Amino acid sequence: MLELQNIRFDVPGRQLLSDVSCKVRPGTLTAVMGANGAGKSTLLKAVSGEIKISGGQILWNKRPMESYDAKELSRKRSFLRQNYSLQLPFTAYEIVEMGRYPYFQSRATARCRQVIEETSRYVGIQHLLKRNYLTLSGGEQQRVQLARVLAQVWDAPEGQRLVMLDEPVSALDIHYQHQLLGLVQDLAHNRGYTVLAILHDINLAFQYAQDVLLLKDGHKVAFGTQNEVFSEETILETFGVAVTLHQPSGYAHRYVTVDSRSFAATTHFIQEHNNYSFK
Amino acid sequence: MIACVLLAAILAAGIGAVQISPLQILGMIFHKIGFDLGIHYNEMQETVFWVIRLPRVLLAVLIGATLAVCGVGMQGLFRNPLADPGLIGIGSGASLAAVITLVLGTSLLGGLSGQYTLNVMAFLGALASMIAVYRISRQEGKTNVAIMLLAGIAVNAMAGALTGLVTISANEQQLRSITFWSMGSLGGASWSNVLGILPFCALSIIGMPFFAKSLNALSLGESDAGHLGIRTERLKNSVMYLCAIGVGACVAVSGIIVFVGLVVPHILRMTAGPDHKKLIGASALGGAALLTLADLVSRTIAAPVEIPIGIITSVVGGPFFLYLLMKEKKKQSLI
Repeated sequence: MLELQNIRFDVPGRQLLSDVSCKVRPGTLTAVMGANGAGKSTLLKAVSGEIKISGGQILWNKRPMESYDAKELSRKRSFLRQNYSLQLPFTAYEIVEMGRYPYFQSRATARCRQVIEETSRYVGIQHLLKRNYLTLSGGEQQRVQLARVLAQVWDAPEGQRLVMLDEPVSALDIHYQHQLLGLVQDLAHNRGYTVLAILHDINLAFQYAQDVLLLKDGHKVAFGTQNEVFSEETILETFGVAVTLHQPSGYAHRYVTVDSRSFAATTHFIQEHNNYSFK
Repeated sequence: MIACVLLAAILAAGIGAVQISPLQILGMIFHKIGFDLGIHYNEMQETVFWVIRLPRVLLAVLIGATLAVCGVGMQGLFRNPLADPGLIGIGSGASLAAVITLVLGTSLLGGLSGQYTLNVMAFLGALASMIAVYRISRQEGKTNVAIMLLAGIAVNAMAGALTGLVTISANEQQLRSITFWSMGSLGGASWSNVLGILPFCALSIIGMPFFAKSLNALSLGESDAGHLGIRTERLKNSVMYLCAIGVGACVAVSGIIVFVGLVVPHILRMTAGPDHKKLIGASALGGAALLTLADLVSRTIAAPVEIPIGIITSVVGGPFFLYLLMKEKKKQSLI
């Protein structure tokens, strides 16, 4: 269980997070959503220890996050970003092996090789392991990175594995988006992982997230199960976009359509502007 | 690889104005330890070997290995295969200090300007410019690698300008020394030189492999290395200092030898792969072999005149580097 209690993060002159609280349950995929600049990445950075929060507390399994040893945390908590700008031609295997760095000094142990094998099979990249990472497609690269991130926490006890995903599918096509989120959902449901993911697509959140945290300007708009949180009102408040929610019959979850009239003013402005510049 | 270095060393120790065969070299070494293999050599060969050739070969091995290892370290640190210790001002700082010592040495330092003053001054110059770059790149208690790179360019430019300024006031004789120094040479090799830089070079060569895993992780990104439990600040500082100390010591005795730190890791990355766990050791050996051979060429190709070794490494390294760039360009257009 990951608990955020009134966390705050200040930079000179501005508050990037103010009094955000939520409880992220193990075995669920919790989506963090909000407009650009709402504080989603800052929240993940606070949980990953990359930044030091200015106030409040982050509890991981009832203990303050900062009371853990860095080494110990690196075996329980891992982080996947949207894309990686690698310059060196590592093989996919070498990338996945990096996930095991917290477990060995200079040579990978037999257990490490076994875990690399297991996570690669789980993610479906065994056939890519010998390939140069730089020559893989975006979707393949992201799955290799997922295998690395999983290898890092694979050996942690049940209920003590935390995986954070910062827009993991934003750069992927629709096939890879669902493939990757499907894997992540399976990790949460069937292997008890605690998953905290920044998502942009509300429809993807409907399909894969159990709990949702909505942020706006560093404040919490709502937190709870997706049924409690998502409504036309909260989405309008969070994103400033008028939407309609639909529940098709015989379908497991709702979906969202955007009311294009909510952009009428902006569209009008752009047209005006274009006319002006063509004159 | 080790065999390569040994072969290069034996070749370099044997060829020159006084020829010594590999067997005679073996004989001399064993004689020194106390075994007599019954191999004949004359006294002149013995003197040349122990006093001139061996320290020179050892110096080439040490400097080659250190420059290559520091090249790997810098490329890992900047997450860019084109980085080089020269980027953060080590070379230009050393040059400035060396040129000042050469031109103004006697008036500034008076009686102190002995044989090793130049070496010590160059070493201090290298450290000073490195520390300047490092201090500028600190931001809220962290090292900003991008600022470090840009600060390096600025420090290089300023040190270059000052070096030029001092050079103008040099006389004919000093100008020759400056030219020779700025192109690099192992001509001043002696046992005291070898022993002088040994601790610094050894620190770099032995220290760097401890950061191999961390440098691999750093290639993902700084925050990602942090998520893998690596203390990135400590890593960046350690690699910086190892490079500054190692390269500073090398530059101090040999002048500026370009391209070894850049090209050797590049070649080996193509064969051994980018994994720093293998790359650092391989580069040390590759750099040692390459510089030993380059030095052999530099003193025999136009004997008795010695061509500065920096010219040899540039003549070989320049076209090779262009070839790498072209290849890289082609590869990227294919993907």
